[in-house]
Amino acid sequence: MNDEARMSNVETMTKHEAASSLSFVIRHSSFRRRSRLREQALFWLFRLATYLILAAASYIFLDIGIKGSRVLFTKKPPFVNLEFLSQAPETLYVFDYQGKKMTLGDREFREWKTTHEINDAEVTSVAYSAGGIWPCIVGTALLVIGSMALALFIGVSSAIYLSEYSRNGRMVRLVRTAILNLAGVPSIVFGLFGFGLVVIFFGWNVSLLAGWFTLGLMVLPAIITASEESLRAVPQGLREGSLALGATRWQTIRKNVLPYALPGILTSSILGIARVAGETAPIMFTAAYATRDTMPWQVSRFSDFFFQGVMALPYHIYVVSSKIPQNDYTARVQYGAAFVFLLLVMLIALGSILLRTRLRARLQW
Amino acid sequence: MVTTMPEAPFHQPHAPGPSSPAPKKDPESIAIENLDFAYGDHRVLHGIDLDIAPRSVTALIGPSGCGKTTLLRCINRMNDLIDGARITRGAIRLGGIDINTPEIDVVDLRRRVGMVFQKSNPFPKSIYDNIAYGLRVAGVTKRGAINEAVEKSLRAAALWEETKDRLEKSALSLSGGQQQRLCIARALAVQPHVILMDEPCSALDPIATARIEELIQQLKRDYTIVIVTHNMQQAGRCSDQTAFFYLGRLIEYATTAKIFSNPSQRQTEDYITGRFG
Amino acid sequence: MSVLTETAGLQMPRAKSSHRKGRTLENLIRLFFGGNAFVAVVVLVLITLFLIREGFGFFGGNLQNLRVYRAAGLEYVDIMRTQVEAHAALSRALSDVRVRETRKLAEQGRSVEEINSALAAFDQFATSFSDAGNNLAGLVSDLGDQAIALKEKAALGEPADLAALRSSYPAYEQISAATAAEINALLANPPQLSTPEAQRSFEKVKARMRASVAAFPAKAQCLREWDPGRPVHWYESITSFLFGKEWITASFWQDWYGVIPLLAGSVMVSVVALTLAVPFGVASAVYISEIATRPEQNLIKPYIEFIAAIPSVVLGFFGIAVLGQAIRAASELPFMSWVPFFPLSERLNVFTAGALLALMAVPTIFTLSEDALRNVPRAFKEASYALGANRLQTIARVIVPASLSGIVSAILLGLGRVIGETMVVLLCAGNRIAIPDFTEGLGAFFQPVHTMTGIIAQEMGEVVQGSIHYRALFMVGLVLFTLTLLINLAAQKISARYRMSVG
Repeated sequence: MNDEARMSNVETMTKHEAASSLSFVIRHSSFRRRSRLREQALFWLFRLATYLILAAASYIFLDIGIKGSRVLFTKKPPFVNLEFLSQAPETLYVFDYQGKKMTLGDREFREWKTTHEINDAEVTSVAYSAGGIWPCIVGTALLVIGSMALALFIGVSSAIYLSEYSRNGRMVRLVRTAILNLAGVPSIVFGLFGFGLVVIFFGWNVSLLAGWFTLGLMVLPAIITASEESLRAVPQGLREGSLALGATRWQTIRKNVLPYALPGILTSSILGIARVAGETAPIMFTAAYATRDTMPWQVSRFSDFFFQGVMALPYHIYVVSSKIPQNDYTARVQYGAAFVFLLLVMLIALGSILLRTRLRARLQW
Repeated sequence: MVTTMPEAPFHQPHAPGPSSPAPKKDPESIAIENLDFAYGDHRVLHGIDLDIAPRSVTALIGPSGCGKTTLLRCINRMNDLIDGARITRGAIRLGGIDINTPEIDVVDLRRRVGMVFQKSNPFPKSIYDNIAYGLRVAGVTKRGAINEAVEKSLRAAALWEETKDRLEKSALSLSGGQQQRLCIARALAVQPHVILMDEPCSALDPIATARIEELIQQLKRDYTIVIVTHNMQQAGRCSDQTAFFYLGRLIEYATTAKIFSNPSQRQTEDYITGRFG
Repeated sequence: MSVLTETAGLQMPRAKSSHRKGRTLENLIRLFFGGNAFVAVVVLVLITLFLIREGFGFFGGNLQNLRVYRAAGLEYVDIMRTQVEAHAALSRALSDVRVRETRKLAEQGRSVEEINSALAAFDQFATSFSDAGNNLAGLVSDLGDQAIALKEKAALGEPADLAALRSSYPAYEQISAATAAEINALLANPPQLSTPEAQRSFEKVKARMRASVAAFPAKAQCLREWDPGRPVHWYESITSFLFGKEWITASFWQDWYGVIPLLAGSVMVSVVALTLAVPFGVASAVYISEIATRPEQNLIKPYIEFIAAIPSVVLGFFGIAVLGQAIRAASELPFMSWVPFFPLSERLNVFTAGALLALMAVPTIFTLSEDALRNVPRAFKEASYALGANRLQTIARVIVPASLSGIVSAILLGLGRVIGETMVVLLCAGNRIAIPDFTEGLGAFFQPVHTMTGIIAQEMGEVVQGSIHYRALFMVGLVLFTLTLLINLAAQKISARYRMSVG
């Protein structure tokens, strides 16, 4: 568009056309209106995209929440389905008896069979669908505790080195590159690594110990990063003040850095807990069993405790959602387990996010 | 005061032999000899020669970035904390002993050379614990001794009257001026020979500044004080000697009276009269 | 003042030995922390070493596997088998034509009987064609049994005697010639179809038939020239893994470990996930950092971070229980029938998995992009506003370009997360090990696939330790690891440049 053509668009400018050589840059009012309209339209598009994400996530929360709370909560006191939370998974037996539809868990069914006659061919069995998920909760808790202890120990120590001792050298760059890349390693590769190294090479078999090792190393980069951030948030003045008084490095760290960084480290680590609890792939062949009849503490020797596989909630969800069909009988354990798990992980994550916001507000030095 | 010191000023593994460069000096004297200092490849101090007299106040002045704070931090080796920072030539002697030899324990050095920072940095602990910190990290555990030192240090820093009823309160509850005096008290508690002050009043109001300056006047009877300041009036009011730095070089070093009344260098005069900087 | 130093109790412990002890202790502590920091390096090296250690044995085993395939004559039989399979494919194409014709006729209001009688000639044609292939199929089946026996011998180290197998060639030639004659006879007198659409596709099938018959001599030549002694080169073991189009394990016939179908699955799922996640993630990042009000920011930011905490197995379960079903139901809606590949036959497919992975990638992309946008110096924005630009112009021409490398690295990290995700694809991608049929265009994205992560998770628990299959899975892990490492490094490179340009 040449200037002449542009000028002819400028209706309000006709009087002053010649007055100013700048007049051609000042846009027509309808142009401005159009551009404002376009701006608004695009902003609405962005808003829509944002809210669609929220809606999609909310739909998932609601779907699992509503269907799951039918399993987890009851109308009668104590309002919580304690049976579901406190029992082990059992096979569900479904059959018709004297025109009545019966659904019985494994133990009940065997008891019932002692007093009743039933042709086994008429009984449909659905695995895992009766009972509850107690051993899975216990297993997940054990996995989380052990792997977080390991990851916190190594992670906080690494962060102390990186933030307090290290100089910018080749070694430190190497360590930092390793941490960054370790953070991007897929969890299934950690699973393979744990399987190859710990389960087979060390010969620890499918065990709690192998799971701790695998999960702990997986979450390590996140813990190091979070801890280092917290350590660096402690003002340099505190370190200098302490060193200038003749404290050694370690005294300075122990008395004047760590105590102030610790709340931040722990808060960020809670998010690590959510990740450790939520991962399935790394424990599939290092620590998790689909079924186990005994509870983890029912071991004959103390050392056996560490070398036993456990049931874990995420693995249980994987098993019940892929190995058994989707129907009315299985929905109970599927939605119940998914809901309990989602609730646990979300509460942990929510706690972490809330604590972190509060901490950030408080830690203004 | 010197005679009450239990041992040699700081650990010296080899007794000074006949080849020892300097004779035994006043442990509170500081001698800076032909000092070059660099951050990586960037040289910031060039051939500084400076003898700081014991039990007096020496002010380091000069425009921003002239190297005065760097020099101050060399004296208690705080620059060790900075990557790539190093002395490339020359030496700093404290009581005649080179502080940058490997035999010198930097922790011990810092107990002898206290420091007060530009931004007051009390630890987020109680007032009492702030003062006791230096003693505790040095291995003093006797409660009575610590109590005594806390009181004396606070009195010496003219803070006792204001804080004696709330020693267990957080140090962060004090006002800015009080916090800075607490930092001075904290430095005094470990019985240093030298106190380095890096613009101690830059963040304070005039009244608080006046109290600190008053305190400096009292302290110089017992301590060697080196103070970095941007404030000409402050240098004039409270120092005995003044060193003027410009672009990493020591331009002029003389008694404060001479520097402020009759400087021998043109650059010094320009700076003091406010023509630049 | 001097009273201070007179305090007797304040003599600080400063014996020589305590100094040295103190300093070595400090060094030990430093060493301890340094050692812990080094764990990350050690782990990364160990992962690499272990994947290589367990994976590289694969090539030797696979080479052996390929050599036996040739030596035992399985390859020979497979040459004939391709001909049988081509025949079967043509039979299926004929029945597709029939379906098409039937549908059209039904739309015209014909009854079933009428349709059947109209198609009687065509059915005759199709049946004859199908039967024409039976003899060859029988031969291949017999030879297959022989080859398997030879393979078992070869596995025991005995030399395989291929004479019996090769003596079947005259029989093959005879059958092949008879089949060709039969097909040519059929083609000489083809039935006519009443609807033009069906006729058109029938013509296409006929053309394929002619081409197939014309290819018989080439096949025969292949068989004649086939040489069991031709060496299998060492590199073929690698190429057959990297470029192999088939992943067949625990087969009675021959195992193939080609990574391409798995890679294709992983890539397709990632493409879907990123196609959805990038616009949503970046748009919401722009919205939150530049447009939204404070309360909106304070609510939405944590909420999206919160989404990142949803365990992937729960998302996978949701995909199986709800989303897959919903997508299929949507594809069956009448007003969606214009989409060529709708309705879908599989509820678990690339799209189901990709859509869920998009939800996992959005928080990563959102958080990092938002950081990048927020780090654009205020001065840039103010300069733009001061020149009279409105908000949209400022965002589009100043803020987004300035943070582009940050956004790109956010997208790459999102890609890394998506391609390495296991549970969602294992549960929702359909787990069919095959390269999707790209002739269907976009429909390929609605077919079930298997992925690299999925195959490891699914098969690792069941393989014999140390077997070729076990090692092949480690090789897949190595490919995955290398891929994510490269993506990660690229993201780091880009974001490092970004820091330079802004800082």
